[in-house]
Amino acid sequence: MTDSSNDGELLECAGLVRRFGERTAVDGVSFEIAPGETYGLIGPNGAGKTTTIRMVCGLLHADEGSVRIAGQTVSTAADPAKKLIGYVPQDIALYPDLTVRENLRFFGRLYRLRGRALERRVDAVLDLVDLTERARDRVDSLSGGMRRRLNIGAALVHSPSLLVLDEPTVGVDPQSRHAILGSVHRFGEEGMAVLYTTHYMEEAERLCDRIGIIDHGRMIAEGTQRELVATVAERDRVLLTASGELAKYVSECRLLDRVDRVDVGGDHGDTVQILVRDARSLLPELLDLAHRVDVRIRGVEIVEPDLEAVFLHLTGTALRE
Amino acid sequence: MSALFAIARKDLRQRLRDKSAFVLFLLAPIVVAGLMGLAFSNINLHAKVGVVDLDGGPAAAGLSQVLGSPELSDTVTLRGYPTAEAARSAVDAGDIDAAVVVPAGFTAALAGGGTPPSPTVLDDVDHALAAQLVRGVTESYVAQINADRLSVQTALAAGVPAASTTELAARAAQLHAPERIEARGLTDDPLKTVSYFAPGMGIFFVFFMVGFGARSYFTEQQQGTLDRISAAPIGSGTVLLGKSLSTFVYSLVSLGTVTTVSWLVFGARWADPFGVAVLCAAMAVAVVCLTTLVTVLARTERQAEGIASIIVFALALLGGNFVYASASPPALRRLALFTPNGWALRGFTDLGTGIGGWSAVAAPLAGIAVFSAATAVLTLVLLRLRRPA
Ligand SMILES: Nc1ncnc2c1ncn2[C@@H]1O[C@H](COP(=O)(O)OP(=O)(O)O)[C@@H](O)[C@H]1O
Ligand SMILES: [Mg+2]
Repeated sequence: MTDSSNDGELLECAGLVRRFGERTAVDGVSFEIAPGETYGLIGPNGAGKTTTIRMVCGLLHADEGSVRIAGQTVSTAADPAKKLIGYVPQDIALYPDLTVRENLRFFGRLYRLRGRALERRVDAVLDLVDLTERARDRVDSLSGGMRRRLNIGAALVHSPSLLVLDEPTVGVDPQSRHAILGSVHRFGEEGMAVLYTTHYMEEAERLCDRIGIIDHGRMIAEGTQRELVATVAERDRVLLTASGELAKYVSECRLLDRVDRVDVGGDHGDTVQILVRDARSLLPELLDLAHRVDVRIRGVEIVEPDLEAVFLHLTGTALRE
Repeated sequence: MSALFAIARKDLRQRLRDKSAFVLFLLAPIVVAGLMGLAFSNINLHAKVGVVDLDGGPAAAGLSQVLGSPELSDTVTLRGYPTAEAARSAVDAGDIDAAVVVPAGFTAALAGGGTPPSPTVLDDVDHALAAQLVRGVTESYVAQINADRLSVQTALAAGVPAASTTELAARAAQLHAPERIEARGLTDDPLKTVSYFAPGMGIFFVFFMVGFGARSYFTEQQQGTLDRISAAPIGSGTVLLGKSLSTFVYSLVSLGTVTTVSWLVFGARWADPFGVAVLCAAMAVAVVCLTTLVTVLARTERQAEGIASIIVFALALLGGNFVYASASPPALRRLALFTPNGWALRGFTDLGTGIGGWSAVAAPLAGIAVFSAATAVLTLVLLRLRRPA
């Protein structure tokens, strides 16, 4: 802790690089997280979020760069720095044939907790994830939502300073999702630092103090939500739900003045996203163009500047599921 | 250290909760050993043996005498046959369990100092034990006479007049029907089938632990719990060691239960409980080493399963878990010495025939130790070659 480079940051990642054969999955990623801060690492699927997180947790060695937590270097070896991190894997990672309490005890013991101290922590976590009633039940008898909560709880038994969650809401029903977001918010308020990855921009908007946007393994922007949104400078996002020759429409749109970016996105790949200045005055022109290239518009929506607009602005591509 | 025990404890708990593991490692070996004991027990008690004397001399008569001696009367009933063919068909018909054919010129060869044509034993696969018994008696009879011949020749070399040697040799062949017969399985406490097959089956089923243990590693990898464990501040070897510890304990409990139950319920007898415990512990170590090797060798759960079953069946077949080692051909018996179970069963055979203490278990222990060490070295080499990504 005598390290001078550690000026109050809890986690410092510097120039992380990780290659898999020819492919560079993470390409020079650096960021810092202060104690108690909730940091969102957002980016589309395959951007390198999980790879980054695995290096942070010491599960994967970095080809270049370093990870330090509270001034101590994290590596894949058995180093004590890992004690400060609580890792929540993307998929549920629990023993289905053990009870809720047995699972929590086991993960606590891995961090040298034992006896009364262990039981106290297990009770506290059961309370935190609202599973006290089900403590004696086997995990394979729990509902999906309960397992999700226990999956997070298992990383909390040893009271980490930094909780790392890898897309904890993927494939989760809306109710559980709400519960998960609520508890992550609470952890932040209680002073725990959180590293949260997601490809849902609205989750990051809701939860995170600071956000890093990652794409193709590179950190392309970083800041508070306000700072990031400011970079798109008053541009609105126009969402046109449409059918027909979308590719032709997109290329015609790109020729228009005042249009910054155009791409097709949305859950069904049927939404044209257009990033423009002063969307309301340009709208008639956009609809007229659609008419001319035989594209049928079924819905129009104008969205104020948000993180998706930032992403579209920076990469030229819309986020897809 | 505490993380290692936590992993071992967790694995044991999971295994105790797994009904298929319970059936495989405790119930099945006991049931199968019991059934085998019941099925084969009467063969041990008695053998009907045919004798075909084509020689007609005193040496052949001596062999009949030995087989019909009072000390074997509980075990052997003799019946004479005029020709080898008649004896063969009696064996095939199941009238007798085995027959010994003493060739013509047997006595003459012995008396003349040439190499005697040895008696042939006619056997039947269903009564391997009886044939084994006859073979043992016959071999030791011939060996005894040869020893006597040697003493006659020694006497000759020492200056006994050549004229009296023929007489001497004849006397040797006639008089020295061996007083004590030493054939495997024929000491005061004949080897009971269950004393062999109980550990045989116990070891066979414990070998399944290899696949089980290796698979549990890949299950953890797949369900993500291995990542969770690796995210904790513990060494990379701790997981393998913790899992090994639980495999050791479970193997030991399994073998211990099988031997204890077959002793209490099925009448298995070994000279020395200490020897049994030592052999069980050594086998548990061998199982741990094999499990670790398969874990390191395989890349997926599928592969682990495949490699494990090949190893298990190869070892069980070579080591003699399904057949009496002493009833199998010599080449196979030699191969059994490359297997830990072959050594362990050797130890159990000795213990089962009344040999106690270190003289029964020292060699098996050394054999199992060499096998385990070789496996461990191979594992370490593979680990070296496959540095984690
Ligand atoms: N073990 C691996 N072997 C090879 N390629 C990998 C491996 N893990 C990840 N990748 C590749 O690295 C890139 C980043 O993956 P990942 O970190 O999982 O992205 P994200 O979590 O943002 O979806 C992807 O292109 C993926 O295919
Ligand atoms: Mg991912």
